[in-house]
Amino acid sequence: MKPLLSALLLTLLTPLAGADTGLVVDRAWVREAPPGASMMAAYLVISNPGNSDATLVAVDSPAFARVMLHKSETVDGVARMVHLDSLLIPAHGSVTLEPGSYHLMMPAPQTRLREGDQVKFLLHFADNSSVAVTADVRKKP
Amino acid sequence: MSNYRPLLLLARIIPLLLAAALLACSSPQPPQLQQATLLPSPKPVAAFNLINAKGEPFTLENLKGHWTFAFFGYTHCPDVCPTALGMLGQVMHKLKDSDHLDNLPQVVFVSVDPQRDTPEVLARYVTYFYPDFIGVSGDPAEILSLTRQLGILYMRTAGGGDNDYLIDHSAAIILFDPDGRFHALFNVPHDPDKIASDFLLIKAYYEATR
Repeated sequence: MKPLLSALLLTLLTPLAGADTGLVVDRAWVREAPPGASMMAAYLVISNPGNSDATLVAVDSPAFARVMLHKSETVDGVARMVHLDSLLIPAHGSVTLEPGSYHLMMPAPQTRLREGDQVKFLLHFADNSSVAVTADVRKKP
Repeated sequence: MSNYRPLLLLARIIPLLLAAALLACSSPQPPQLQQATLLPSPKPVAAFNLINAKGEPFTLENLKGHWTFAFFGYTHCPDVCPTALGMLGQVMHKLKDSDHLDNLPQVVFVSVDPQRDTPEVLARYVTYFYPDFIGVSGDPAEILSLTRQLGILYMRTAGGGDNDYLIDHSAAIILFDPDGRFHALFNVPHDPDKIASDFLLIKAYYEATR
């Protein structure tokens, strides 16, 4: 029932994808979780060719119970993860989610995702627009 | 004027010759490194008692006789740790492919999260990145006794629940020499090419100055 509902939601929302904002989400990939790892990370690039700033406020995916927006940062040699409520993508700019920096963090699902699998994400922005993207599961960038 | 030319030339060459002679006679110069920071003098490490992923002791003795890269993290870490371990896997493949290496370094992942990283969890986790990687953890006091000798820091941060916390931790990779001494460290960002080539230079300098 739940996957069906998610699929339905995706179908309903996909046509809205960036229609007004012109936001482009690409180069999406999910790092294959090592065996036993409880958390996974996803990376992508959000480009905003429009004239106004965009703000990413939430992400969901039918493959994961939760998707959190995080940033890894190393201060004085110590790496830490910071939870973000939102992420600004400036007009005519882009933000890259990549290893060691901004990333999406998800609890690993029961069935382990493997290289070659694909996962859908739906990115929600402050102006109520959404952009869907398909990410490949890979071992490295 | 033209009479002075050979003299001038000589005046320019003599310091160069002197410098070359001096270089040839003196001991090898420390290598020019791209990413590693060499300790001014290698620091002996006091005894510690950790447990490897097979449940066997992992102590100072296990650092002796070969070079060791060590990284400190936890398996619940989704970004920094798999990135660093994947990178160290690449370093190992590069070193394995280089002709002049008979004794490959060992790579040790020290979990600073013994509460969740049991030996079984660690065993499956580390060998995913490279078959010979060693997973190590142990009693919190024993982990601390090693990390504080190396300047490695870690602290638990708030998470969703008792078993859902994150850990801030030092991102540096530590290099131990075959005498089991803290020899060098690699700060972020980690580049596998630079780390592999720095390692070979450090090893060559160590062997030339013994």
